[in-house]
Amino acid sequence: MDAGKIKSALADVTAEQDPTIKSLKMASLCSALWAERGVELVVVGGSAIEILTEGAYASGDLDMCHATRETLPVAERKEIMGLLDAKGGLRNWKVVGMYLDLLGPVESFAHTPFRRIEAPYGNILLMKPEDLLVERVLMTFYLGESQTARDCAKKLVAVILGGDMAVNWDEVRRVANLPEYRNLPECIKLVKEVADELKVKSPLHPD
Amino acid sequence: MNSKSKVPCIPIEGSISYEDWLKGRRHRREMGNLVAPEIIRRKTSSSDRRLKKLFKGERGLPFTPTDKL
Repeated sequence: MDAGKIKSALADVTAEQDPTIKSLKMASLCSALWAERGVELVVVGGSAIEILTEGAYASGDLDMCHATRETLPVAERKEIMGLLDAKGGLRNWKVVGMYLDLLGPVESFAHTPFRRIEAPYGNILLMKPEDLLVERVLMTFYLGESQTARDCAKKLVAVILGGDMAVNWDEVRRVANLPEYRNLPECIKLVKEVADELKVKSPLHPD
Repeated sequence: MNSKSKVPCIPIEGSISYEDWLKGRRHRREMGNLVAPEIIRRKTSSSDRRLKKLFKGERGLPFTPTDKL
């Protein structure tokens, strides 16, 4: 991406006042620049859930991981983030009126692909909703019940059951049964609860 | 409910265009609003100090209201 295009993209992202679009554009710009050097980035956690659900959940930071095995050496990271006039260290930057955290290698258990949006400055990859759902259900009960994690998981399920996002329910079931989670009963219960509220059949309910 | 949705779906394989993603924003928000409060941003986190400094006491930019999506 040439300097003129980067400058114009930075002006666009800086001026953006919708937090979800701002995150998406920032992810798109960073992904494009890192991809030019062979590293694929993925939007993860609450940042991914926000872009996938419009759940009004995320705060003003964008969390990304690298999907490729290796990340970039420190000097190259500094060079790229310098192009964006970012301030910060090796993994966290303040850039165009928000924060970007690069968390390390992505951890995913689902065998489905990362979701992909053809965003304004290049494609962005998003964490798989199969992983996000099982993880968010776990967080609902981890260290005591979290209403925010529960609401977040419910919104994720509602968007899926509403037909706005496709998931592989067999993968949700498989991931929830893995030793890392072991929370299939909780997932079944939460999905049924949302399905009942929406008056549709639960895709995880056995019958 | 799936078959009734007229908004573009974020697919498992392939990609969704930016324009289609924008078109689906309102419906995605509305679906979530049926089962949980409209805004569920956490009140606190370990990033509070830097966020509140950047966003004038808030933890991020205000969300666009559903009817403006």
